[in-house]
Amino acid sequence: MITDKCFEQAAVRVRHLSVLRGDYLALDSVSFDLLPGTHTAIIGPNGAGKSTLIKAILGLIPKTSGQVLIFGCTSKKLNKLRQGIGYIPQKFPFHGSFPLTVAEFVGLGVPKQGWFREKRRAVQQALERVNLHHLAKQKIGTLSGGELKRVLLAYCLVTPRRLLVLDEALAGVDQTGEAEFAALLALLKEELGWTILEVSHDLDSVKQCCDGVFCLNRKLLAEGCPHVTLTQENLQQVYGGQLPVTSYQLPVTS
Amino acid sequence: MPALTAIQDWLSLFSLPFMQRAILGGILFGILGGLFGCFVILRRLSPFGDTVGHGAMLGVVLAASFQLPSTWGIIGYTVIVGVAVTYLIDRTNLGSDTILSIVLTGSISSAIIGLHFLPGYRGNLLSILFGDILAISNLDIILLLLLTGITLAFLLGTLPEQILLTLNADLASIQGIPVQLYRYLFIILLSITIGLTVRVVGILLVNGFLVIPAATSRLICQEFVPFLATSAGIGGLSGVVGMIISGTFDLPSGPSIVLVQLAVFLGTVLLRRQS
Repeated sequence: MITDKCFEQAAVRVRHLSVLRGDYLALDSVSFDLLPGTHTAIIGPNGAGKSTLIKAILGLIPKTSGQVLIFGCTSKKLNKLRQGIGYIPQKFPFHGSFPLTVAEFVGLGVPKQGWFREKRRAVQQALERVNLHHLAKQKIGTLSGGELKRVLLAYCLVTPRRLLVLDEALAGVDQTGEAEFAALLALLKEELGWTILEVSHDLDSVKQCCDGVFCLNRKLLAEGCPHVTLTQENLQQVYGGQLPVTSYQLPVTS
Repeated sequence: MPALTAIQDWLSLFSLPFMQRAILGGILFGILGGLFGCFVILRRLSPFGDTVGHGAMLGVVLAASFQLPSTWGIIGYTVIVGVAVTYLIDRTNLGSDTILSIVLTGSISSAIIGLHFLPGYRGNLLSILFGDILAISNLDIILLLLLTGITLAFLLGTLPEQILLTLNADLASIQGIPVQLYRYLFIILLSITIGLTVRVVGILLVNGFLVIPAATSRLICQEFVPFLATSAGIGGLSGVVGMIISGTFDLPSGPSIVLVQLAVFLGTVLLRRQS
């Protein structure tokens, strides 16, 4: 239930966020609140500014105007709260012969303080959680696309987080992997109370898994519960003439 | 007993202070090159090493113009070039190869014009092109020890952060790692190392010290810490072996060390192909 208290303690609060990329206005005065403990998707066509929005929220690219608060702090004042943010980028390019094993990579997510044995246990548990403990000693460059995404999730799981941001994390993952990934995200939300914000192109999965949806096309055009918000009318407005493929029967009006 | 005399001559050569300094220098330069080289090849900074190395030529000319020791001229100029190149790559959308080419040709042209006004200085220019490890002084050894200590403290003290920002700067930034500060500190230490190495192996061979041991280590190591240790080990060992070969057969020292590194690299490639 959404209460005033929840609203005040938004995990992420965005107000009038605009981002210029060169001369192009990639985001135009976007405002929303992301409630804690919810799983929310950002949908929109290619070039709608979804990744830009996520990067601007996380402070990875400069914003032109507006305000972003994560756990009530601006990105410059997050300090130790940064450890509570997990991020899985859309692309993760690196050279295939990068000399780093899966366990070493996941271990990079553990804060520096603590004993070696505790760190090793945390890495092992995170890998077990994503069913990849058997690949601990494998080089990261030898993983498949789906395995790499699960390793990135293990990197996020290795330390307690409060906010998980995924930029099309399921791109390149097969259907089985996708279902496992979705089940794990549901578990993180239900059991650990993580707030999840993801960019998605899969409307079926958004309807099944998410509590909220932001429909973006440079501006925030609609927001709310997926079953109510993902109407033919709203999607037409967001995607123009090119509606994404979905097996769901979309309601005509909200 | 000609054999015994030859051995005595050989031993007496390596008991000379300048030879001992050169061997210690070879080991320390090898270790430093091996350590930095790991990050240089993974961050694709090899052309950077060339540009900063060639920039040293202008450093020598500027030092001579102001009658300063050439070491300070080289170090000062390589640090300025390193920081300026990194800044320009960050702030313009020209691409790193373009910026590096502009700075490289600009430095060499300015150095040649500068030399025109310094008649009789060509001898020092030759030594900067090919290096001279035998001319290494006590001050160089002190600077090297200091640099090795600072580099080890910096790279090993921030190793997880360095690995993460090498792999993905966005992930590092979200973890709260001061990416830009670490990048510039790395560039400054790397530029100083290149500046000092130039005096030993010369502008033309400096990149070999950075690239070959790390590339060899990359062929055989799966994990990062062994990768770093093996690269530093190959660098240090090549320094000793190269100096012994150079002293024994009266060959130029810098190229001897680089050829030992190359032999280790080729041997590793062949062994890997066989296995």
